[in-house]
Amino acid sequence: MNLGAPFDFAAGWLQEYAVLPLLYNLGLMQWEEWSFGWSLFAVYGVAQVIVALLICWPLEHLWPVERWEDHRAEWVDILYTLINRVGFLPLVTFVLFSQIQMSINGLLADEGLVSPTLERLVPWFEGRPVATFLVYAIVLDCGEYWRHRLSHVFDWWYGLHALHHAQRQMTFWSDDRNHVLDEVIGFLWFTVLALLMGVPPLQFPMLVLLLRLLESMSHANARIRFGWLGERLLVSPRFHRAHHGTTAAGRLSVNYGGVLPWWDMVFGTADFSHDFVKTGDPTAAEVLATGSYFQQQTAGLRRMWSGLGS
Amino acid sequence: MRRILAAFCLLSSSAAFSAEAPKSVLVVNSGEASLSVIDIASQRETRKIPMLREPHHWVMTPDGKDLIIGDTVANELVLLDPDTFEIRRHITVPDPYQMLFTPDGSKLVVAGLARKQVDVYEAGTYKLLHRFAARTMPSHIDISADSSTAYISLQGTNKAMALDLIHNTVKWEVPTDGAPAGVLLRNGKLLVATMDTDTVQILDANSGATIGHIKATKGAHQIFISPDKKQIFINSRIDASITVVDSTDFQHIRTYKVPGGPDDLIFMPDGKVWATLRFVQKVGVIDLKTGSIETIAVGRSPHGIYVNGATNMGGANR
Repeated sequence: MNLGAPFDFAAGWLQEYAVLPLLYNLGLMQWEEWSFGWSLFAVYGVAQVIVALLICWPLEHLWPVERWEDHRAEWVDILYTLINRVGFLPLVTFVLFSQIQMSINGLLADEGLVSPTLERLVPWFEGRPVATFLVYAIVLDCGEYWRHRLSHVFDWWYGLHALHHAQRQMTFWSDDRNHVLDEVIGFLWFTVLALLMGVPPLQFPMLVLLLRLLESMSHANARIRFGWLGERLLVSPRFHRAHHGTTAAGRLSVNYGGVLPWWDMVFGTADFSHDFVKTGDPTAAEVLATGSYFQQQTAGLRRMWSGLGS
Repeated sequence: MRRILAAFCLLSSSAAFSAEAPKSVLVVNSGEASLSVIDIASQRETRKIPMLREPHHWVMTPDGKDLIIGDTVANELVLLDPDTFEIRRHITVPDPYQMLFTPDGSKLVVAGLARKQVDVYEAGTYKLLHRFAARTMPSHIDISADSSTAYISLQGTNKAMALDLIHNTVKWEVPTDGAPAGVLLRNGKLLVATMDTDTVQILDANSGATIGHIKATKGAHQIFISPDKKQIFINSRIDASITVVDSTDFQHIRTYKVPGGPDDLIFMPDGKVWATLRFVQKVGVIDLKTGSIETIAVGRSPHGIYVNGATNMGGANR
């Protein structure tokens, strides 16, 4: 059974009846070959938001860590999520990644060299896209651990990342509240690693979406524990909440892992002792917590700038 | 009457095939890195052959011994047995999107859509002879009967160009009515399907001057000539249809509604036309007499399509 078939069908419908007519009317049909990729990622992005909503929303209402009267601070997180997962970013990531990969691999091919791929290194993987996808996901998650950890090391970088930590009303929507520059750095980091491993272009946004779906869940405002073993296999809301604790902002943090806690355990940053702490960054300007999208972006730039001088 | 004649002409086109009736059709699934093998008798996919990254089109070697699939993102040509589809060899070639051998069999012309280049290789050795910069998105190719000139559509900059393959120079580069895709050379005329319009632009193959238009439907994308050379089939993306015109006077014969994003075509000995349907992960089997369509499930974003036993087809638009 092809689990991707409903997504392919939805993307095909979107392409044939919405995207292509729009491109035709705008005189932009030269992009028709690329646009199917975008349709596919948009469909997966919508599905991912719906899955996160279906799983996390009931959990947050049944077993909330905190209850708030005013939910306005969460709306901006929803905006971040929609921009990052459905709209512009999947298109940019796909087109950019494809172009960069084609350029580098083409240059290698000019010299008669074959760019590295997992399938050529271990032929068993050829024709087994699910298996390669899982291997790529594990390696990329390790890469994400180190990117995240480094973003807490440098003051200028944490200046951008503070936007993510400033949210005191953390919910499953909060995973995407990132400064756009922080997103760009994250994209470049992820891309370089994916290029080194030879990730196929169509798998690239899928990997981003899968990892971020699991990361959304770890941000949920839900009193969820996975048990002693489960918490050591997959990042739980309790485990990740310790990372967002008010006492763990900046360089002092723990539990950097996005999906797998293994990297924190291996590299000595795991802390399983905390139990649903309060979240937020007491050192962040108030606008980073409760400002509008553009106010947060501007404040993030200012804090990065001051971090560069320190 | 014209429709009946058209159907008859296609039914009598079996001369395009070897004596033995073809058993299998091969479909190139660009969106999931695989080839689907379809058993013609049962009209079902019987197996899938893994590719590395993103294959799109095929071309047959001049001696008919190898079927070549171009895997663009993997930067390789994959040579297969044209009957059993067993993989024989991989050759490193950057971005092989569309490929066509010159009719004299001496050169392979490769359009690199993503890398903005047209490469000319020596047939057999696949040694690079010359690289033309092609801005941007060179996509479809046709070559003159004397092997001297390659015609390329430049999808990204709304242009078409003619390349002199003897002196390695650009003969002409001219603007098109919209984003060009399929090209077909016919009696000194270059037909260019422009996707932003509902027409095919007719250029003088010598000068590149526009000398007319063929009415099709919105989003004209690909152009094919029937095996008997009497009809031209034009696929359209927006109106999801195939328009058939007379290959001599370009008069309209019939339009078939083909939902699902029709792309590449093959003409079968029984007179039916098989089309890859990019957006519904299927191949459409079109009965030209009735206009009815049956579909066969394949992989994601099927693009190129090949039937074994075909002897006169050199590429996607031959």
